[in-house]
Amino acid sequence: MSDLSNLLAFLGLVTTLLMVWRQSRPARVRLLAAQSVLLAVHAVTIAWFTGRRGLLLVAVALVLVKAWWIPRALGRMGAGGAARPVAPGRSSGIRLLVAGALVVVAYALILPVSASSPLPTRGGIPLAFAMALVGLYACVSGREVVDQILGFLMFENGIFALGLLATYGLPGLVEAGVFLDVLVVVMVLEGLVIQIRREHASLDVDRLRELRG
Amino acid sequence: MLLIALLLVPLLAAGVLALTQDRVATVVHGIASLVTVALAIAAAAAVVRHTSLDALDGFLRADALSAWMVTLIGVVAALAALEAPHYAHGAPRRFYPFFHLFVFTMLLAVTTDDIGFMWVAVEGTTLASVFLVNFERTRASLEASYKYVLICSVGIAVAFLGTVLIYFADVAQFGGAEHVLRWTTLRRLAPGLSPRTVEMAFVFLLVGYGTKAGLAPMHTWLPDAHSEAPAPVSAMMSGILLAIGVYAILRFKPIVELAAGPAFVRRLLLGLGLASIAVAAAFLWNPRNYKRMLAYSSVEHIGLVTLGLGFGGPWGIAGAMLHIANHALAKSVLFLLSGRIRTAYASTEIDAVRGLLARLPVTGSLFFAAMLALMGLPPFGLFVSEVMILGAGFAGGYSVVAAVALGLVVIAFAGLLRALQRMLHGEAAGRGVERGAWTAVPFVAALALLLMTGLAWPPGLAGALEGIAGVITP
Repeated sequence: MSDLSNLLAFLGLVTTLLMVWRQSRPARVRLLAAQSVLLAVHAVTIAWFTGRRGLLLVAVALVLVKAWWIPRALGRMGAGGAARPVAPGRSSGIRLLVAGALVVVAYALILPVSASSPLPTRGGIPLAFAMALVGLYACVSGREVVDQILGFLMFENGIFALGLLATYGLPGLVEAGVFLDVLVVVMVLEGLVIQIRREHASLDVDRLRELRG
Repeated sequence: MLLIALLLVPLLAAGVLALTQDRVATVVHGIASLVTVALAIAAAAAVVRHTSLDALDGFLRADALSAWMVTLIGVVAALAALEAPHYAHGAPRRFYPFFHLFVFTMLLAVTTDDIGFMWVAVEGTTLASVFLVNFERTRASLEASYKYVLICSVGIAVAFLGTVLIYFADVAQFGGAEHVLRWTTLRRLAPGLSPRTVEMAFVFLLVGYGTKAGLAPMHTWLPDAHSEAPAPVSAMMSGILLAIGVYAILRFKPIVELAAGPAFVRRLLLGLGLASIAVAAAFLWNPRNYKRMLAYSSVEHIGLVTLGLGFGGPWGIAGAMLHIANHALAKSVLFLLSGRIRTAYASTEIDAVRGLLARLPVTGSLFFAAMLALMGLPPFGLFVSEVMILGAGFAGGYSVVAAVALGLVVIAFAGLLRALQRMLHGEAAGRGVERGAWTAVPFVAALALLLMTGLAWPPGLAGALEGIAGVITP
């Protein structure tokens, strides 16, 4: 089990890094959906080996909310905009370098902590933590509204993976609250983003500078 | 029972108000607000009698700290509810349901014993209030709402990361224990938790809930959201929502101190507190917009509260808790009055407001008095709580931190005083009409409470503060 779990966690981090690297927005949305499916597979794997049936429900919720509904919402938000950044000369080299550094930082921070875990999934904990940190970085460094939201969801997925690997998921009711929360946040943001696009004819964050001081 | 009723009333009210219009909506809103504040005070009184209340098999629980917060939420929400009809009349269905949902989420956050659900409720406060921030649907309010949802959701996700780590520490040590995410369980198990994991969790929790509390450098959403929201919403956000961020941090403080010792928590709290006061003082030196001025002043006061908690000791903690209450009263009064000023002058620029005392004699004098209270002048309560907080610093061997904070508070004071003078005097501009003098009664009552916390503590106040100290000191 531990090898399979580590492999899945590793693939999770790879999808996160690919999202940092890819410039095309539809491709990144597809990667987010793929990552969510991967997490669902991970949950099912753990459910299989440990007999925790609750995780199967979590996997279903993951697929419905994060692999199906949210990518569609992100597609609607980005519809009509350019699929790739228009400004030239912005390569993802530096961003990928920062992301790589964050993976190292994640290992350094969490390894002493995760070593104390008795679970066979502990090997993947630093990978999940790295997913979260890189997602947070993608969120705060996003130049467009949809990039920031994508980063936020990458961060969420990382935290979910961490919870899954470190504790086999949080108690069911809390987990349900978290899913509901992500769903509502994305719905609210979709409404706001559509208004922003109507007002500013752009999704560039730099246009949002009405409020100063 | 009392706790369930307290939560059900605003929740049901939100549902009913989504279906009603016009006069009926205003009446339902009024009744719901009245019942909510009555139940809040009744619940607090019950806690004083029985030290704690619980319901639903311990899922809901109110101790001295919860009771303090519940009372504040009830009182501030009632004050805001009185002014709300002046803002909601255009579209009551977009206002009242979210107003009561907002109150519900805040009450749930402070009465649930489950730290996972506390997290869900705190995030719920953002989602319920964002529609209120964007109520006027202008470019500026749209931008403020977007920043508000995104920054607070990311912040709160950081807090969730912290919650997961606490849960991890718990499960790794005491795998089979029941209700491991309950605060009461955590507190009991805390001395056995891995110090390293808990310290790391606390950093995330502090950054996450600190974002909601408006601590610098995570405060950037706050001035935008507070200045764009309609006045009753700004009053609730500034008066109590920020305090709920502090409340969440307070719940984790004894757990971390029991697991890892007090030094680590103290350093972080002092650092963030001082940073917040510094950021606020820099802005308050020369403010241009009076709603943003009030918002930054909230950053300053939350910074002072955090400092008090960092200094610790009986004075530091009692001072911080009293300061939360004093600030809630003064700031909600000021934000509600700022809404009246904005209606009269059609601007939130300080330069546009001239001759406030002559143009709006009642609103102007109340604003004047509440600003004096906010600036920490005697005989109002904020003077006492600031002296308690800074006194705890000087007495506890943190003279340098306390002295720097005092200097920054004086800078903020000078800036606020200058802005106030510009607004109060001069040639009266604007075309505002004053509302009836009787509408000043609730504000006068709030200011009277501030005089009581400043001059003569009502019976039971000292006991309540002692009870809170008992909850949050390990």
